[in-house]
Amino acid sequence: MKINNLELYNFRNYSKQEIVFGKGVNFLIGENGSGKTNLLEAIYFLSLAKSYKTNEVNLIKYNSRFSRIQSNVTVNDKLQKLKVIITEKGKKTLINDVEVKKLSNYIGAINVISFLPEDLTIIKGSPKDRRYFIDLMYGQIDRQYLKELTNYKILLKQRNELLKKLSDSNIQDFTLLDVITEQLADSADLIVNFRRNFISNANGYLKKMYRFLSDNNKSFVFEYKPSIEKDFESQFKSKYKNDLYLKTTSYGPHRDDYDFVIENVLAKDNASQGEQRIMVLALILAISEIVYEKYNERPIFLLDDVFSELDSVRQNKLIKYLTELEAQTIITTTGLENIEKTIITQSKVFKVQNNTIREESQNG
Amino acid sequence: MILPKAMEDLITEFMRFPGIGRKTAERYAMHVINNFSLETTETFGNAILNIKKQIHNCPNCGLITDRELCQVCEDDIRDESILMIVESSKDVFSIEKSGEFKGVYHVLNGVISPMDGKGPEDINLSTLWPRITDNRVKEVIIATSSTQEGETTALYINRVLKDVDILVSRIGYGVPVGLNLEYADDLTLSKAIENRKKL
Ligand SMILES: Nc1ncnc2c1ncn2[C@@H]1O[C@H](COP(=O)(O)OP(=O)(O)OP(=O)(O)O)[C@@H](O)[C@H]1O
Ligand SMILES: [Mg+2]
Ligand SMILES: [Zn+2]
Repeated sequence: MKINNLELYNFRNYSKQEIVFGKGVNFLIGENGSGKTNLLEAIYFLSLAKSYKTNEVNLIKYNSRFSRIQSNVTVNDKLQKLKVIITEKGKKTLINDVEVKKLSNYIGAINVISFLPEDLTIIKGSPKDRRYFIDLMYGQIDRQYLKELTNYKILLKQRNELLKKLSDSNIQDFTLLDVITEQLADSADLIVNFRRNFISNANGYLKKMYRFLSDNNKSFVFEYKPSIEKDFESQFKSKYKNDLYLKTTSYGPHRDDYDFVIENVLAKDNASQGEQRIMVLALILAISEIVYEKYNERPIFLLDDVFSELDSVRQNKLIKYLTELEAQTIITTTGLENIEKTIITQSKVFKVQNNTIREESQNG
Repeated sequence: MILPKAMEDLITEFMRFPGIGRKTAERYAMHVINNFSLETTETFGNAILNIKKQIHNCPNCGLITDRELCQVCEDDIRDESILMIVESSKDVFSIEKSGEFKGVYHVLNGVISPMDGKGPEDINLSTLWPRITDNRVKEVIIATSSTQEGETTALYINRVLKDVDILVSRIGYGVPVGLNLEYADDLTLSKAIENRKKL
């Protein structure tokens, strides 16, 4: 899938901007604060109808009433026009100028995979960061997973409310708790299976990606650490006392975690900045292979400030890899001085300056 | 310009309806002023008044009615050995329209949902249990919707009835997940009832 062009109207720092992307690697070069991340955010919003950064009203250019993002995209050789309008009251999503009211019918018209500097927190940050990242990535690929996840979250909320009530009122009838616990256990079983398959699938590609990008032979595994591994019903039921005391469900997929392991050592304890970046990149590339496996189309890569902390060898390796993959990629950076001219002959370069984006003459 | 107070009052009342905003409410109020005779207006006002004065839940099954007992409970021909449990009176009306069901109903007037502050004691279950243990009932069909809350409610009822010697079945089969009975057409409904599954 490709984004052919993008038109922005009153989006963040852009008043009116059109940009025609190349089919391969696209570079956005500009100083700090020039609006590079804002452009990626627009594409992200076009894909997922939500922002990774903030409240939606912040996307509207200061002193304007609404924002519009519009784009012609090609998916499975079919041309489609996507449009999102953001107002203070809410947003509208349109495909080929027809409003799509149900967001779930709009999302997925194009798939993006993004790398943001914040994503590095998945290595050293909290389990919650890792769960969020995986759920976001996997949820985009597999609707069934997303549906089950929603179901699980509702059941969990129901159960926690019930635990509060039972514990506060000293009611000894656990019939309803049994029923909701069994429903939760069934859902947990499905979620853990989904995650296990997804992670094992990703690991199939991960080693290769990591080896290529890091240029070393260290082993790299992404490990799934479920809070409950099996026998969900009996596990949940054996913890009633504890759960009633804490007034919350203390174990289950909402407490799952993942580990990055290099040469049998936990990455969170000692990976360097550059190594962390390579791990996250390798994971993103592996996930994009799963998307390809499933849909026969590669998602669009949005890579924000990806070169920082990477030495020039690794920068070049990454660009070479993406170019050969023929995956459309949009990369922001403050400069291209480390990239060899020969590997970017098919790339497009854009300069971001004074709130406008302008294409540089080829290799200029 | 400030609208006449009486008009403003009526607009406020219309806006109590779901899906009616200020603009529509204004249009309705204008319509009453221009097109309603005094007689029509009186009939309209009384209809609203009467509905609250006369409509109540049937003490036996929970269905809304303007009689002492509802039509179904009063009807001698209905088969009292089959009892269908539904979430709301609306469900009864749709099933009755299809004419497929000859048994009797029990209307819960809600579903179990702890996060909305609704436990088993907050829906119409207390009158259900004596109806079932009374010897006439041989089969209970649980027809709550296939949403999470509907499922929880169905499983709860089934669990409470587990030691009672009657057949408990569940419809929902054929009714797509998340769909309310209200929206199912007659064919889907009769299929759903026919294909009920033993719990
Ligand atoms: N709603 C808005 N209206 C107008 N300008 C905005 C709006 N939101 C953000 N900006 C401006 O956008 C700029 C930030 O842009 P952005 O984050 O895209 O920069 P960047 O090029 O990614 O910088 P860096 O290289 O530091 O990451 C800020 O200067 C901010 O003032
Ligand atoms: Mg930035
Ligand atoms: Zn009745």
